[in-house]
Amino acid sequence: MATSQKKRVPIKQGLFKVPADREKGYLIGSRCKKCGDCFYPKRAVCANCYSQEMEEVALSTRGKIYTYTIARTSYPGVPLTAPFITAQVELPEKVQVLSLITGIDFDKVKIGTDVELYFWKVREDEEGNEVMAFAFKPVGT
Amino acid sequence: MADKEVVILGVGMTKFGRVTGRNPMEMAREAGLMALKDAGVDYKDIQIGFCAHCNQPIGTGTDCFAELGMTGIPVTNVELACASQSRGVMLAAYMIAAGTYDMAMVIGIEKMPRGMVPILGEQSDMPYPFLMGLMPMPGAYAMMAQRHMHTYGTKREHFAKAAEKAHRNGSLNPNATYRDVYTLEQILNSRLIADPITLYMCSANADGATATVVCSKKMAKKYTTKPMLLVGWAGGTPVYEKGGMLAEGPTEMLGHKVYDMSELGPKDVDVMQVHDAFSPGEIFTLEELGFCPKGEGGPFVWEGNTEIKGKIPVNTDGGLVSCGHPIGATGGRMIAELSWQLRGLAGERQVKNPKVALLHNQGLGGTNVMMFKM
Repeated sequence: MATSQKKRVPIKQGLFKVPADREKGYLIGSRCKKCGDCFYPKRAVCANCYSQEMEEVALSTRGKIYTYTIARTSYPGVPLTAPFITAQVELPEKVQVLSLITGIDFDKVKIGTDVELYFWKVREDEEGNEVMAFAFKPVGT
Repeated sequence: MADKEVVILGVGMTKFGRVTGRNPMEMAREAGLMALKDAGVDYKDIQIGFCAHCNQPIGTGTDCFAELGMTGIPVTNVELACASQSRGVMLAAYMIAAGTYDMAMVIGIEKMPRGMVPILGEQSDMPYPFLMGLMPMPGAYAMMAQRHMHTYGTKREHFAKAAEKAHRNGSLNPNATYRDVYTLEQILNSRLIADPITLYMCSANADGATATVVCSKKMAKKYTTKPMLLVGWAGGTPVYEKGGMLAEGPTEMLGHKVYDMSELGPKDVDVMQVHDAFSPGEIFTLEELGFCPKGEGGPFVWEGNTEIKGKIPVNTDGGLVSCGHPIGATGGRMIAELSWQLRGLAGERQVKNPKVALLHNQGLGGTNVMMFKM
């Protein structure tokens, strides 16, 4: 059976679930079953109470910019090319996620901005799959 | 511990320079011989060696020490990013304080590539931020600086002032990579690297080597009547804080440990070295180590308190910003400057009659704080 259906694959496994069919994408965190602290990326051992009873959780898709900068230089051979906004996004679970921010002018971005998660295509791999990464953008844009 | 104080008997460093192409072994030998001469010690009297580096090949430590002699001593490589050399000195200090050895030597050596610090390792093993290029090196400092500006009203000009002072001090230092002086305007208008950090607020990769001879107080009596004492030291890694940001080492906690151990505090310190990989670092560290209240680091620097003639001179040699940053060697440059300051050998950069010196060296999570006394 010849199929040319393009698959969406994450640029790195274990960090996020890409949106598929009717399912929304999300960041994969872990929650400690003992103390309840959440982490991103996933941890096998709780950094707060050292319990190994961790469960995977879908983290909230909305958060606030805790702090940011505008990267004016970039490394060679990586997907992101300067200039771009990079920020620590604070999620309601009290977890910070380092993320690309789009959809705001450089002179408008500020700490406290409400942002929401989305996914974007970085490139296509040799098999024609769409290689996906995540970013945040202002809520409602 | 048998004795909680050890002696910094000798220091040495090459001139730091931007991608000089010099052979690392040749630089290590130059710094090593200088430290031995400064200490008045023969290489055969060194009982243990540590070699700090981050980008050099396997076997660098044994090769560096072999340049000075082949006496069969144990040599260990130490890597703690930008804080490698001072950690090597701390390891030597623990062993000497415990009575295991009497005389150690620590060499820091780095030959750096051009541009930003490269990302090493297999691509598939890279954390997502590096894989994507999300966090160029000034990014973490820049984000901390943005947060500081938001929380405390710190201004870009405050960071620029720390850079202006660093370049001015560096102009007096023949070992510094960059010796040009810049005005506040030139610093603020230089190329933006990661807002609010501009080019002249950044340390640049450099080549260089440093060396430190560390010995017991008992052994030091053979060589000097006025030893420079290491009277307190503490190293650490980030402490988990719920919802916290990417953190460097726990500078504030380490400061308290060192103040307890040395029975000295910020009020006693006459000269200081802090890790200014990017100029905002000077402001954060002054607050964390208790030299001014939280949030007042910006105005504190702006008012000139950290100038050579100020209340607490900081980075009298120009710091990382002016000296340049050979990662594995930088800690040894900080120790050397404090040694010259305490012995009155700092020439045009000399602080008036300092007795107590504090060091803060930080690198990708690892932090060292050390207190010295003359």
